[in-house]
Amino acid sequence: MSRSSDQITTAQAAVIIINYMLGAGILTLPRTAVTASNSPDVWISVLLSSLLILLAGFVIVKLCRRFPGQTWFQFVPQITGKAIAFLISLITIGYLLTISAFELRVMAEVTGMFLLEGTPMWAIVMTFMWVGLYLTTGGIGSIARLFEIILPITLVIFIITFSLSSGLFEINNLRPVLGSGVIPVLLGMRSTTLAFAGFEIMLIIMAFMSSPQKGMKAVTWGTIVPTFVYLVALVMTIGGLSLGGVKVATWPSLDLIRSFEIQGLIFERFESLLLVIWIMQIFSTFTITHYAASLGWSQLFDKNIRPFLFMMLPVIFLIAVIPKNISELFMLGQIVGNVSVYLFGTLPFFLLIISKIRRKGETSN
Amino acid sequence: MLSMVLQHIPSWIILVQALLLLIIPLLLLKLTRWLRKALNGRHSARSDMRSAAETEKKSGKDSTHTAFKLTGQYASEVTLIREHTSRNTDVKIREFTIKGTQTRVAVLTIDGLCDNDIIDTHLITPLMLRGVPESEADGFAQSSHSINSYLKTRLLPVTDIAETQTLGDLVQSVLFGTTGLLVEGMEGAFLLFSAGGKSRSLEEPLSEALLRGPRVGFTERLADNTGLLRLHGKNESLSLTRHQVGTRVKKDLVIAYMKDIADDGLVQEVTQRIQRMDIDDPLESGYVEQLIEDNILSPFQQVHNTERPDRVIGALLEGRVAILLDGTPFALIVPVTFSMLLQSPEDYYERWISGSFVRLLRMLAAMLALLAPALYVSFISFHPGLIPTRLALSIIETRQGVPFPALLEVLIMEIAIEILREAGIRLPKPIGPAMGIVGGLIIGDAAVNAGIVSPFLVIVVAVTAISSFTIPSYSAGISLRFLRFIGMFCAAFLGLFGVVMFFLFLCSHIVKLRSFGVPYASPLVPYRFSDWKDLFMRFPLQVMKERPQMIKTKDSDRKK
Repeated sequence: MSRSSDQITTAQAAVIIINYMLGAGILTLPRTAVTASNSPDVWISVLLSSLLILLAGFVIVKLCRRFPGQTWFQFVPQITGKAIAFLISLITIGYLLTISAFELRVMAEVTGMFLLEGTPMWAIVMTFMWVGLYLTTGGIGSIARLFEIILPITLVIFIITFSLSSGLFEINNLRPVLGSGVIPVLLGMRSTTLAFAGFEIMLIIMAFMSSPQKGMKAVTWGTIVPTFVYLVALVMTIGGLSLGGVKVATWPSLDLIRSFEIQGLIFERFESLLLVIWIMQIFSTFTITHYAASLGWSQLFDKNIRPFLFMMLPVIFLIAVIPKNISELFMLGQIVGNVSVYLFGTLPFFLLIISKIRRKGETSN
Repeated sequence: MLSMVLQHIPSWIILVQALLLLIIPLLLLKLTRWLRKALNGRHSARSDMRSAAETEKKSGKDSTHTAFKLTGQYASEVTLIREHTSRNTDVKIREFTIKGTQTRVAVLTIDGLCDNDIIDTHLITPLMLRGVPESEADGFAQSSHSINSYLKTRLLPVTDIAETQTLGDLVQSVLFGTTGLLVEGMEGAFLLFSAGGKSRSLEEPLSEALLRGPRVGFTERLADNTGLLRLHGKNESLSLTRHQVGTRVKKDLVIAYMKDIADDGLVQEVTQRIQRMDIDDPLESGYVEQLIEDNILSPFQQVHNTERPDRVIGALLEGRVAILLDGTPFALIVPVTFSMLLQSPEDYYERWISGSFVRLLRMLAAMLALLAPALYVSFISFHPGLIPTRLALSIIETRQGVPFPALLEVLIMEIAIEILREAGIRLPKPIGPAMGIVGGLIIGDAAVNAGIVSPFLVIVVAVTAISSFTIPSYSAGISLRFLRFIGMFCAAFLGLFGVVMFFLFLCSHIVKLRSFGVPYASPLVPYRFSDWKDLFMRFPLQVMKERPQMIKTKDSDRKK
């Protein structure tokens, strides 16, 4: 029975990817994208990035299909040999831990600024991490089920809050389309692609899928929904705040929601709602990376995952407190994003080729 | 470069925090493990002790009279029985002679459990007044066997007839309410009529009142209850398997299921858990519930209880298993899912539109009952800026005279209302509502006038209390009432963030919880859209053609 409970359905796999992708990006993407491209055409960048991600996801699914039931940490040694694989696994774990810590810190910063002024950071962070730990000890099945509860709530509230902001929307803020050529769009892709970091979780959760042949379906849905969310966030924020306004705001989406009031409803301001769903999204990104990193350790040493789940808590906390201020924090985010592109954008491709050449794993189809 | 690295080395206070971060959950884990182990350990230790005691008892048993064979030595046997039952003044022995013979008989009854009228007309009348005709008297007294068969075939017009060979059995059965018949010259003894005893008539269930639906509830007698299930409709697949529970006081327990719907694994699991139970006397089905549930530390019930036969049948048709215990009108249903606790049979009896509406309303009410006071505390004491300005102003105005922080204010009112509610249940029926009015209206009004609480809070608390009454299952209502207080404390410490964490923690707990192998959160998650027809909305019956998938029924088609 414990074995079957660790299986996840295709829908659950997609939901995990979506919840992982949607994290700090909802609040920061408009600023990073606009700063990188300096043009309102970043929504095209998002579309192009999602295509790129689909491609990378396709490669990952192909790779995983050759090693059914095995995670990234288990099948890489068969392709590259033990030593290199150990290194790759360590980097992966480090990457996952850093993402986890990054999201944690962003959450603490935003909560400290908008919800709990004056509350010490450790109080916020510890509660958050303990609840996360409680969930992760339940295994991937529990994580997937919780994500399935969170996601619909997120989407509904997200759509409500952003559609309420339509009063501020100025189509002229988005014009002219492609006014300065294609170059800004490509520049924008540098930051929009980072917002899609999260598809790499397929390397790990494919092993738990009850029907791995539908892996590509999960990746496709897992990319379409965040693309939609990011598109809405970008278009509404730029349309509402204008290019210049987005650039100077630290959390542009939040500023957008804060900048209007609607009379006659129970709430006049909706940032609390947006913050609530956003905390939930950060929670999901945090838990899945925490779980994946611990799973990495446990599979590396062939031990039970539980002690690692506990031990990773202080590690994540210590990484999270390293950045001294918000700009250092965003720098960290940038670095992690870049690592993700190399680690999961290109490496799986080479590994796939090598495994084909060395005839490792099952030849699917 | 080095200086930059040095700059980022965390201070010792951060390191201490990191350590705490690790140690506190470890301690909590140890604590829960210890708790669980202590509970389970006691259980197994007790069963060891019990088996030891049992073997001892068995070895001692043989030496006493309990295994004494009844051979037809009438006089000595009657004396022995008198000796045995000397401490039970309610045992009655009536001796007489069968008409037309010299055979003496003794009728053993017990007060209150045997129906004297029936014994008089069906046992004593034929033996004492009709007896054996003279022509057959010789054949009758020939041997033990002839007496036995003559009595059974000619003189005892009784359906329920059994025999026993030992004295111990006879005495025990008589004490449990069966009527014993000891006959001179016959080996063994007859046991007649099953145990009776008074039972109340079928009444409308008190705890689950419905406007529309059958007005019948279970009673305290197991036979009545199983009869009610049979009475529901002609159905060959309804299986009722009987078990005996209780180490000292033996009680009958029936596991009911549909043999061609319920999953065999589930039935087996339930049976096993029932047999593993170790308790001297399960007074009520609540005992059984607590001994077979999956997680003792969870605030949620993992076994559903109901007084309504229609609810039990509905659950059986979905592939669930019901447990009925003698002596209580509450039947148990397993496995249970969270959504079930918010459903009422009326949802199905009313038309689907109104049924769905009421169900959605109930879910909203459950959310309110759980979170309203917590949200009040977090908005008032942490984020007054997030409520509309005019509303915030009016709330603050009313709170001006209140000398307490929001948490204390809410606690005073919430605890007061919980006390009122508890008192209302205990009071006799005519006084209960009056107390509610006195408590709710007058105390609330006086508290506002005295400036202890704000009128806005009274609204919040009243809405919360009324919302919690909409939850159809009383046990689930208690869970939510309890969790509401935890939510308030979370809000008092961490504001809205605390409420979100509380919600996430609760959800994490629910998704981790299982009831007899079925995830507690199903069918909400994992997504099973075919089961969603009966979740938020109650779709038309024509659409609900399949049984819930989550219970892995043998036969998913409702039409068969």
